[in-house]
Amino acid sequence: MKPKKVSSVCIAVLACAVASTSAEEKGNTGSDTAFPTERVTQEMGLTAWAKIHAVASHPRCTNCHVGADNVPLWTRNPGDPPRAHGMAVNAGESRIGAEGLSCRTCHQTSKRPNQVSNAAPHTGMHWQLAPKEMQWTGKSSTEICKQLRDPDRNGGRDADGLVEHILDDMKETGFITWAFNPGGNREPAPGGLRAHLQDMALWTAAGMPCP
Amino acid sequence: MSVNEEETISLIVDGASFEVSLEAEMPLLWVLRDELGILGPKYGCGIAQCGACTVLIDGDAVRSCQVAAGDVWGPVTTIAALGLDGADHPLQTAWIKHQVAQCGYCQSGQILQAAALLEKDTSPTDSAIDAAMSSNLCRCGTYPRIRAAIHDAARSLRES
Repeated sequence: MKPKKVSSVCIAVLACAVASTSAEEKGNTGSDTAFPTERVTQEMGLTAWAKIHAVASHPRCTNCHVGADNVPLWTRNPGDPPRAHGMAVNAGESRIGAEGLSCRTCHQTSKRPNQVSNAAPHTGMHWQLAPKEMQWTGKSSTEICKQLRDPDRNGGRDADGLVEHILDDMKETGFITWAFNPGGNREPAPGGLRAHLQDMALWTAAGMPCP
Repeated sequence: MSVNEEETISLIVDGASFEVSLEAEMPLLWVLRDELGILGPKYGCGIAQCGACTVLIDGDAVRSCQVAAGDVWGPVTTIAALGLDGADHPLQTAWIKHQVAQCGYCQSGQILQAAALLEKDTSPTDSAIDAAMSSNLCRCGTYPRIRAAIHDAARSLRES
């Protein structure tokens, strides 16, 4: 496949993102490699996708990217198999627990650091499950990849929209940001937030190739 | 602002206004009990696993051990102010009628969690009650009486 040129929009967005990343976030963003501006090949895109999938399939993400049963998952210790969230929690069709027990009862909306081990974690966004169309539990790398690039399932986002989704999350200290710095005794998603942002930019610039 | 720096926090608790100087990171439960002397909310686990510290913030049931003082977004209601116009809340009446409490430690949290449920649903089914109350633990095992009392209070609210 002919190499694709990285979109100028993507580069601009990334440049802003890296410049605006707070000092605190910088300490938890992992790789500090410069964003490549050379032409992006499909092979580079697939390499980036492999790293994106490593993040998407990590319990920090999959525990809330669950299916239509609306039951979030828990992972007590790194490497443990995920199990159903305690207390028989079901987030309902609303995916925020509006029908019974609201997620917010325990998971507060706060940008403050998560410091207490085993406490209910919080983010700057209201706690919720991901849409069921974005179920990642039990899905292969190819299936997740096709979900992510499908505007009918990803919230109507194009390539730039996917990158901006991460940038918006960083501004709000949302779920993606939290996944790389979950605090307490939780294992972070692999690779670091900035590296994930760069991988997403590379993958989208490469035309969002799937394995 | 650093974690350990004190600031003045304004709170409305049970209809009264308070200004307290403390670290904004301090959990609301600590503020209520140690700073304001409001002892209805109980310390159970400190990690949102038991529900003993439940209060209402702007009508939503929350675990006060998980809410930083600086993040409180609305008026706080504890068990002490749950009654309606000076009378007991129907839940409190039902709690007495069914003699729900055994040791009683979890009960203020149970009642406030139930109050949040009945605010949304005055005809809850058994399964709706179980879903809403599933993270309020009672080591005495009073769950059947809790459920019966909630049904009773719901009936009172529907008829009032």
